[in-house]
Amino acid sequence: MARVKTQQLESLIECLHQKRQEDVSLADVLSLAEITAQSLQVFFETMDTAVYREMHEIAGYIERMRGEIGALQVDEIKKDRIPAAGQELGAIVKSTESATNTIMECAEALMCADASDPKAFQALVQEKMVLIFEACSFQDITGQRIAKVIETLQNIETRVSRFARAVGTTPPTDKAAYASDQEKARAERAQRLLLNGPQLDGQAIDQKTVDDLFK
Amino acid sequence: MAIDLSMPVLVVDDYNTMIRIIRNLLKQIGFEDIDDAADGSAALGKMREKRYGLVISDWNMEPMTGYELLKEVRADPSLSKTPFIMVTAESKTENVIAAKKAGVNNYIVKPFNAQTLQSKIQAVFAD
Repeated sequence: MARVKTQQLESLIECLHQKRQEDVSLADVLSLAEITAQSLQVFFETMDTAVYREMHEIAGYIERMRGEIGALQVDEIKKDRIPAAGQELGAIVKSTESATNTIMECAEALMCADASDPKAFQALVQEKMVLIFEACSFQDITGQRIAKVIETLQNIETRVSRFARAVGTTPPTDKAAYASDQEKARAERAQRLLLNGPQLDGQAIDQKTVDDLFK
Repeated sequence: MAIDLSMPVLVVDDYNTMIRIIRNLLKQIGFEDIDDAADGSAALGKMREKRYGLVISDWNMEPMTGYELLKEVRADPSLSKTPFIMVTAESKTENVIAAKKAGVNNYIVKPFNAQTLQSKIQAVFAD
């Protein structure tokens, strides 16, 4: 039994050596830990039942963690869900921009129109109004696209929350320690230049409050 | 005080649609000489080549923000008197106070309407 596990361990170490140039996944590390624990289990069985029980629990915990990592489906999130959500958001930007351009072109055409011929002017207004109504139909499709993006975010949130619960993590006290250099630079720039972005209702101040600050 | 509608106006925004909206509103008010720039550094370049009577700028742009542009303008003796209106979605009190401290003449929160833009321009030139 111990010999079989040792062979498994050797083959796993060999596999990790071959992957040295690539990222070693958490699943690989857990596999190694699991086989190590199982190999040592045989050894400890002969020594102490308390230690054996401890090792058995560790092996069980590792097995459960493997299951949780599998349920997280990181590859699916990374390769499918996030790129798809990005494409949906890109399509939203494109369609709103296209609709805005159409509406603005209609408004600009009406601004410059010659109203001296009432019949021709009325026909132009009607033509442009139809175009504006058509352009506004973007709202229905973008609403559906946004719903898909929200669904993706909720799906990721559910999986990550479940994983966090299973692992028993506590929120980091120093969030900045987990940020990349690029994220840190962006956060520093945003803080220094007061780049807070648009606020939700209730958090933003209105024009009247702004005006009061200028009195 | 009547506004000199012949004065050149510089609109600074990284969003082309917003430039177009402000440009059309300014035309409706009666301004004819309207230029635009996509960020603070492009605006600063234009301001050093042409004397503008009014700058209307967004806040959040890259690489140079409207807030940095405002501070550069106020620090440059040849540009420091240029009237400057911030038109932005940055709607926190700290932004308004910082802009006021840096010397902005007025502050408009997006989304805004034509009447607000016109009244703020009038207020700037009435001061």
